[in-house]
Amino acid sequence: MNTPRVRISPAALGVILVLLVIQLYLFETVLGAVLDGQRSVLPGAFFVSLALTAISLFLAFRSTVEHGPKE
Amino acid sequence: MTTWWRRAFPLELAEEGHFSRREFARFLAVVSAGFTAGIGYLWWRKKPLEGASDPEAGPKELPVALGLAADLQPGQSRLFKFRDAHDACILLRTPKGELRAYRQTCTHLGCAVRYAEERLECPCHRGFFEPDRGFPVQGPPSRPLAAIALEVRPDGTVWAVGELPKPTLETLDRRAACPREKTEVTA
Repeated sequence: MNTPRVRISPAALGVILVLLVIQLYLFETVLGAVLDGQRSVLPGAFFVSLALTAISLFLAFRSTVEHGPKE
Repeated sequence: MTTWWRRAFPLELAEEGHFSRREFARFLAVVSAGFTAGIGYLWWRKKPLEGASDPEAGPKELPVALGLAADLQPGQSRLFKFRDAHDACILLRTPKGELRAYRQTCTHLGCAVRYAEERLECPCHRGFFEPDRGFPVQGPPSRPLAAIALEVRPDGTVWAVGELPKPTLETLDRRAACPREKTEVTA
């Protein structure tokens, strides 16, 4: 039986990688700020991080590209 | 024909070689969620991290007597404990004659800094801080030392009375006066 091959697109994977790099930088910055006693950045950083994670999860689980029927 | 490494490591995993692009993307997304959880934990945790600055504790803490101000000559320093037995700090008199106190914890990896040759030095990784504001001037540290607020009372004694807030984006003028940044600009 022929079934379409469904894969995540390279572009989506690239976006997820970029978002992860941003997350890493954000986490490092937030940790430095917290160690300096500046906790006021935490709410904003959390919601930004949450938004980036939501985008990453959406791309990882929903973004697909069809390559036609499988042999 | 079997390759040499396959003979050396005869592992047979059923899913070997089938780590798909989608699985990799999901792994990355979960790691991303981990970072979010980490930031959320820092937000949820009200207590400061160990070794972190806590300027908000100021009004609640007890002043600590550090001796007579006149006993400390320019270039000299004295160690003391502030909030508890583990809170090591250093009191020093700068070459200009001003008293300054900092937490001894290096902002790089937490080694104890010492005052030598008119600057604060972290011996672990050769990091140096200038004594006037605690800004890093050389080596791996990138953040200033936590400064302790001092009070000289009429009888000539010095007291540690709290922790000063570290420079933030709102105090850019102080950041601009950082010797390291000046050096970079002139270079």
